[in-house]
Amino acid sequence: MAVPAGSRRLDLWTVLTLAALAVLGIFVLWPLANVFTASFYGEFSGSLGLENYATFFGSGYFRRALWHSLFTSAMGTLLALALGLPLAVIAARYDFRGKAALRVLVLLSLISPPFIGAYAWIMLLGRQGLVTQALAGIGIGLPTIYGAPGIILVTALNLYPLVFLLVHGALLRIDRSLEEASLGLGRTRFQTFRSITLPLTLPAMATGALLVFLGVLSDFGTPALLGENYPVLATLAFTLFLSEIGGNPAMASTTSVVLVSVALVLILLQRWVASRRNYASDAINRPEILRMTGWQRLVFPAFAWGLMAIANLPLLIIVYTSFLETSGPVFLQSFSLDSYRQVFHLVRGAIVNSFAFSGMALALIVVTGSVVGYIISRRDTMLTRVLDTALMIPYVIPGTVLGIGFITAFNQPPIWITGTMAIIVAAYFIRRLPYMVRACASYVYQIDRSVEEASINLGAPPAKTFMKIMLPLMAPGILAGAVLAWVEVINELSATVVLYTGATSTMPIATYSQVLAGSYGPAAAVASLLILATTLSLVLFTVIGGSDRELTV
Amino acid sequence: MAAIGIAGLVKRFGAVTVIEALDLEVGAGEFFTLLGPSGCGKTTLLRIIAGFERQNAGDLQVNGRLANDIPAHRRDMGMVFQNYAIFPHMSVFDNVAYGLKQRKFSHREIEAKVSRALELVRLEGYERRFPDQLSGGQKQRVVLARALVIEPQVLLMDEPLSALDAKVRVGLRRDIRLVQQQLGITTLYVTHDQEEALVVSDRIMVMEAGEIRQLGSPREVYEDPANLFVATFIGTSNLLDGRVDRSGGVSGVQVAGARLDLPDLPAADGTELHLALRPEHLTILDDGPVAEGVVALEGVVELVSYLGSQSRIAVRVPGVAEVVEVEAPSAAPASASPPGRAVRLGFRPESAFLFAAASGERVR
Ligand SMILES: Nc1ncnc2c1ncn2[C@@H]1O[C@H](COP(=O)(O)OP(=O)(O)OP(=O)(O)O)[C@@H](O)[C@H]1O
Ligand SMILES: [Mg+2]
Repeated sequence: MAVPAGSRRLDLWTVLTLAALAVLGIFVLWPLANVFTASFYGEFSGSLGLENYATFFGSGYFRRALWHSLFTSAMGTLLALALGLPLAVIAARYDFRGKAALRVLVLLSLISPPFIGAYAWIMLLGRQGLVTQALAGIGIGLPTIYGAPGIILVTALNLYPLVFLLVHGALLRIDRSLEEASLGLGRTRFQTFRSITLPLTLPAMATGALLVFLGVLSDFGTPALLGENYPVLATLAFTLFLSEIGGNPAMASTTSVVLVSVALVLILLQRWVASRRNYASDAINRPEILRMTGWQRLVFPAFAWGLMAIANLPLLIIVYTSFLETSGPVFLQSFSLDSYRQVFHLVRGAIVNSFAFSGMALALIVVTGSVVGYIISRRDTMLTRVLDTALMIPYVIPGTVLGIGFITAFNQPPIWITGTMAIIVAAYFIRRLPYMVRACASYVYQIDRSVEEASINLGAPPAKTFMKIMLPLMAPGILAGAVLAWVEVINELSATVVLYTGATSTMPIATYSQVLAGSYGPAAAVASLLILATTLSLVLFTVIGGSDRELTV
Repeated sequence: MAAIGIAGLVKRFGAVTVIEALDLEVGAGEFFTLLGPSGCGKTTLLRIIAGFERQNAGDLQVNGRLANDIPAHRRDMGMVFQNYAIFPHMSVFDNVAYGLKQRKFSHREIEAKVSRALELVRLEGYERRFPDQLSGGQKQRVVLARALVIEPQVLLMDEPLSALDAKVRVGLRRDIRLVQQQLGITTLYVTHDQEEALVVSDRIMVMEAGEIRQLGSPREVYEDPANLFVATFIGTSNLLDGRVDRSGGVSGVQVAGARLDLPDLPAADGTELHLALRPEHLTILDDGPVAEGVVALEGVVELVSYLGSQSRIAVRVPGVAEVVEVEAPSAAPASASPPGRAVRLGFRPESAFLFAAASGERVR
């Protein structure tokens, strides 16, 4: 329903829109503005100017971190494309057995956070790694996994699903008649693929690539565990800010601004490209499923299942080693529950915190996200468009940067929450709110306006109509958004690592610090708990989602 | 007192004026239909009355009360939407009971009222069904019951039948009319189907581009169209170009080489006209002499369409742009004419509607 034109009263939805804008203003713009301003106050002189930027670009150390970030992000993106594209083509176009299982495995490798992957690969290929040791025993030396190669490998294996999901979807939406027309004009299958199919999936590919690039760029856990002497912007900002030997907030802010700028430039570039090539089409005829022939019958399944095995290997390794007896970083060959005992003894607080913080953040996300999702998809006003755009920002801001901004902004009145759990819950809430908003909005778009109007017409005021009609109809979207947000929030490391104190540690923090401390057993146990919490919510989602009554309007 | 009164209503979307200074009164218990081509503003007008859009100027009164500032949920109007707008997550019972619960009726009353409403739309026994177990026609009956059960001051229906197939449509429109007469409820009905409008309405308002082109009973708009738009929009009209001829004693019109005597034509010599002739006012003449007062036109049969008891014979007449459609009983010999046969068409000049070519307004 359009807001009646000319009605001057502030209606419910306008008030809520303003409230949402205020929340974004306080928890996104204000912290960012603080970081931004801090970057212009000279590290030494304290005066306003470009001094910090001169330092940044004048020093080989900072320039190297920038280059490391760009290099690992670009290479990680390329590798993710090299893995995700062929898999998408195989899964979308060939008569391939076990596609359902493949989808689940792909999702699984996406939702397990990269720092868990990094840690598992250290256990396999690190200095003390199982594979490294075994091969060293027979005289074979492996190239190092620390530094760029490890970061690229781990992030690509974690993020290739983004390419897969987007391109797979695009391939299924290409109308079969387009390709048939090309074949009918005498082109071969390969020529058709190159001249018709690929160009049509290009926008999806570009979006996937962008998401991967941003993912690698803003990742903190992987370079923190694998980086060692290979600083990237995200880890550099963190160390500068919280260094034991006197932090350097000015340069941390400058590094953060550079990091955010790189992300912004990329997004603008992608938007510009996307706006020039837009082939929206609704597949009327789904594409033909081809039979694998000859070598394909061998190579395609081998590639797909091989990738699944490698990408999900970290999960297996971690769960397996969590049941091994350990002594420091060395795993012994006998099973025991010692690691779990230690964990429940040492970091019980972190486990409780994780569920408490995530639960609270999720509740906020669900309530706010469903209302905001409804507003931006139903009410088209200047304010709602501003809100829609503003919601993009938390998507883009790396967790480390948001964390630095939070500390800078909220360590004094009027909002003094640094060091409390409120600051962590607020960070979780604002970072993952966009997931919920998007998930809800896409559902609201599918609900006919007149259903809502019918309710109002029958006498239910707007708020009541929202509760009794819209909420039940949005339920599947809310559920999807909630699962996604939950998985992200409970595994959150990059902002928490800046914000936590001893009393507000979480499971990802516990994993991270146990790995750094070389206690691989307890680390594996906490990570296994995380994996369990993540996988369970996904299973729950599939079960509930499957039994849900089909709501067609 | 009028149930609905509209005075000087203006509605703009941005720079586009959709409704321009509209005045209208609908009587209590009247079945009033808004009829017009797509995009003429029917839905917009209905939504303004329901409170979903707000007019830029003008007043809306409902049963004598100014309703401009009453929000949609307090207008007490039952609305039936084109695409059902049934609540997909509620049973038939809960759908129909929705407005009653809002009005805080007791359980007993709600049950009694719902079952009476479902009886009215002939859906007894469907209470426990869900919308996805209903046909389109049944859904629309549920929605009708949902709107009626709250005993609204006005019933608003926006093309309630257009999503249904022809047979269901005819059955349901009869039911809608019967229920409306039984309850005596003031009804505003939107359609762009002229036949539907003729069948159900007490009065029809024919609209074009946000303006009223004619307002009258079905009989009036069909038999006495005020302008060329109404004559062609409602029913079939054959259009012949003509010119006023005042030479000689009595005024007349030159059409396709024939002269029609039409005394007292209020138009100047040489005025360009359109003649509109209903197919049922034309006959295929037999070979004998032409009766007194009948005008004959020569033509060639192009196509005969069999419509059951009647047939439509399309005749190509030299000097007339479109083929002329003639209606004849299927049993008549003319209905068996093979294409290419030369025939003579006859009509009485006074059965023709005359419109000024320049303005489209009725001349006679
Ligand atoms: N929200 C809106 N914004 C801008 N223009 C609108 C809006 N709603 C309607 N219009 C325009 O107003 C005009 C009238 O629309 P309306 O829906 O009332 O037509 P209608 O007579 O109901 O047509 P139909 O028979 O196709 O339903 C159309 O030209 C339409 O494009
Ligand atoms: Mg309409």
